[in-house]
Amino acid sequence: MMNKQEIIEYSINALLRAGADKATGILGYSEKHELNAHAGTMDLFRTTYNIGLNLACIIAQKKGSMVINKVDAKGIDEAAKGVVAMAQSSQPDEANDIAETQPHNSFSHGPEKPDRQLMFSRLQEFLAYSAKAYPKTIIEEVNFSFTKRHSILANSNDVLMSSMHGMYDFSVMFTSKDGVNTSSFNYTYFQDTHLDKPLHQCGSVDRLLRQSAEQIHTHPLPRNFTGKVVFTPDSLSSIIGTAMSFISDVPLITGTSLYKDKLGTAIADSRLTLHAAPHSPLLPAGPDFTSDGYQTEDVTVIDKGVLSSYLLSLYGSRKTGLERAKNGGSNWIVDAGNQSFDEMIGSIDEGLLLCRFSGGNPSDNGDFSGVAKNSYYIRDGKIQFPVSETMVNGNIAAMLHAICGITSQRVMTGYTLFPWVCFDGMQVTGK
Amino acid sequence: MKYDLKRFREEFKQYTELRVQENRNIQVSVVNGTIMGNTRASISGVSARVFNNGYWGFASHPLVNDVEIRKVIATAADNASFLSKRLSNSPIKLPSRPIQTENDFATSRGHISQGDIIEILREIDDFVVTNCPKISSRIVVMHQLDMEKSLITSDGSLAYSIIPRALIYVILTVEKDGVPYELAESYGGFGEFEDRFSQPEDIYPGILEQYNHLVYKSEGIYAAAGIKDCILDADLAGILAHEAIGHTTEADGVLGGSIASEYLGKPVASPLVTLVDFANHAMGDLCPVPVFVDDEGTEATDVTIIEKGILTNYMHNKESAHHFGAALTGNARAYGFSDEPLIRMRNTAFLPGESTLDDMIASIDDGYYLMKSSNGQADSTSEFMFGVVLGYEIKRGKLGNAIKDTTISGVAFDVLKTVSMISHDMAWSCSGMCGKKQSIPVGMGGPAIKCNVNIGGK
Repeated sequence: MMNKQEIIEYSINALLRAGADKATGILGYSEKHELNAHAGTMDLFRTTYNIGLNLACIIAQKKGSMVINKVDAKGIDEAAKGVVAMAQSSQPDEANDIAETQPHNSFSHGPEKPDRQLMFSRLQEFLAYSAKAYPKTIIEEVNFSFTKRHSILANSNDVLMSSMHGMYDFSVMFTSKDGVNTSSFNYTYFQDTHLDKPLHQCGSVDRLLRQSAEQIHTHPLPRNFTGKVVFTPDSLSSIIGTAMSFISDVPLITGTSLYKDKLGTAIADSRLTLHAAPHSPLLPAGPDFTSDGYQTEDVTVIDKGVLSSYLLSLYGSRKTGLERAKNGGSNWIVDAGNQSFDEMIGSIDEGLLLCRFSGGNPSDNGDFSGVAKNSYYIRDGKIQFPVSETMVNGNIAAMLHAICGITSQRVMTGYTLFPWVCFDGMQVTGK
Repeated sequence: MKYDLKRFREEFKQYTELRVQENRNIQVSVVNGTIMGNTRASISGVSARVFNNGYWGFASHPLVNDVEIRKVIATAADNASFLSKRLSNSPIKLPSRPIQTENDFATSRGHISQGDIIEILREIDDFVVTNCPKISSRIVVMHQLDMEKSLITSDGSLAYSIIPRALIYVILTVEKDGVPYELAESYGGFGEFEDRFSQPEDIYPGILEQYNHLVYKSEGIYAAAGIKDCILDADLAGILAHEAIGHTTEADGVLGGSIASEYLGKPVASPLVTLVDFANHAMGDLCPVPVFVDDEGTEATDVTIIEKGILTNYMHNKESAHHFGAALTGNARAYGFSDEPLIRMRNTAFLPGESTLDDMIASIDDGYYLMKSSNGQADSTSEFMFGVVLGYEIKRGKLGNAIKDTTISGVAFDVLKTVSMISHDMAWSCSGMCGKKQSIPVGMGGPAIKCNVNIGGK
């Protein structure tokens, strides 16, 4: 039986033996231990193992790829022949390539094994806390896991990288209920390498639980307005994610991107600086290498409002003639502003605190609309009440230019480190 | 991989499910004539789930052999024991409706090569280039998923199935005054590629219709915001059925606080409305995602969720059926070998009514005919939000301008009370994946429905 390094080396050789000009293999192993709770009760414990071997090859600039999880010599040989046949039946594309030679490297982050008893105790503590502190809140579902992931990437240009991550992940979904009155559901999540704190003290967990209990009784928006909307660290993720989707491979290759030809120009207010930072000490470690075989580096995507990097892969880079991104887009950090949250709310005559956004996919021109969930009406510098059936319309490009405040406080979820951000000029309509 | 699981029965010390599964994916994408994706995936393994004194243990492993299968059963039992030793649920006996069945829908035509698939996609791409002159960008994607499962349960079920789904997505973009407009459409559904696309030119009329709608949309207007008389065509009726009603009536959602917990046996919709989660056949035809036995080994049956406006049933797994004292429905489904069964919909649809679409349009003085949705989300309150990417205004009983992308929203149990006409025909879609911890294929559909709904504008 081959060990992991032997498997990846055998895979590259099998692809070359089968006729590949260039070959890449990514071997992924994972071991997950997961506690689950439903309707406030811990009721399921899962242990799962997974293997995935992604084989890709290029022959005469034609590419094919295959994912298998049978990683013995026979399974790899069969897959290698299949991948080569797939590549041969494809069309040549001079943008197809693999990463060039780099020093071999290996990385390790986080614990190797879970503390199962501590996981159990932390989840039991969380369920007891939420039942006592928020008796009208139903913890609909909790997934609380420790996963050890080991990835090895190699290619026929002598690239060999190995990365091990051990990480705890917590996600919770909840609804508050008082007779026939029901809040909108809400959810949150975080990841970290340790369980030093009670779960409700991590990320946004306790704040959102408290808000859920407040949101059993909602009121309609008093009137429609165009004005300020404060996105929380939780809802900001949807806006950042949407904006970043416009600077990835497909929209830039097809030319449909909102930010086509905008590199080096101001696409946001100068207060906004956004990093994709897998190596930042402010977040648990992110990916060490990209799926196309490059060691990752932190990158500032928007620097004081200026678009300073696209998120292009090697293929996207060669296809567009633009620079390859230094990472694939993860571990997002928005720089802190200079306003406190209270100052931000206090400065708003009329507005909305948007805590969750349930929106449609934006149009290619950046227009979007959706429902403001778990959100609050702001009037005369104060949060007034949670709102019902309220819609928000805007345009991604316009709203990034219309930032009018960023808080100094930020929330760390393990995936993101985001502040509260206030956008002006947004259309808010009630029923 | 068909695996003889019967010999592992002796390993079952408590209630146990044992499943061997392989998911096979094929994806080819052609972006502006260039092959950008050319992949296959085959992921297989074994899982076991054990129930011990009210607690579940689950384990899985990608190696499928006798040694690993026995280890997986033992680990699942240990995991259930880990919880039962530390907590104190009351033991229950799960209800049971076992079945022994085989349902193999693999193609009998013989598989074509990846090269042949690429050629077919390139032909479709050439057709778009030749026949859609205003297109500025086009993407053609083929995706196939085959799910092959062998299942045995300690209460007597033994099942084997191959359920395939093959789709071609065509995404077209035109530019008007420098602004891009996009419209995506999916073709295909249940069955393997060889069965669905034996004559690829069958989808050409649909592509021409899609292109014409897109050109109209690029020349269209913004909808006027507010509550309007709207006709939700089958695509939107289906997503309303699935997202806004279906998810609130999955029994685990009900236990989690969904508003449907207050409405069982009560009127929640117009008497014209009947909503069913079909297991495998609807009105005599095979459904797009047929489920004959679920992943707990329960024989799958139809669930009438709303009957003539009254909320009548929830969808169940074994544990929730016991909790509610309800009949088993067979809604427990898992996506991959390493996934535990969750309560999931199968094929959720409103039943057809008696009106014609023409009569429905003629009945509206000022409203919208909404045809396609991009995505949808719904809440435990049944409040929903759907992106609308294709629609037309209705003025004085006639279709008018196309509208640009917009959003509709409302509270489903309120909106359904405003339903005043339902068309006599219906259509299914099954192009997406439903997300709920795991993603899984589902079918959704319906006739056209006339109702009042809040539409976003600009």
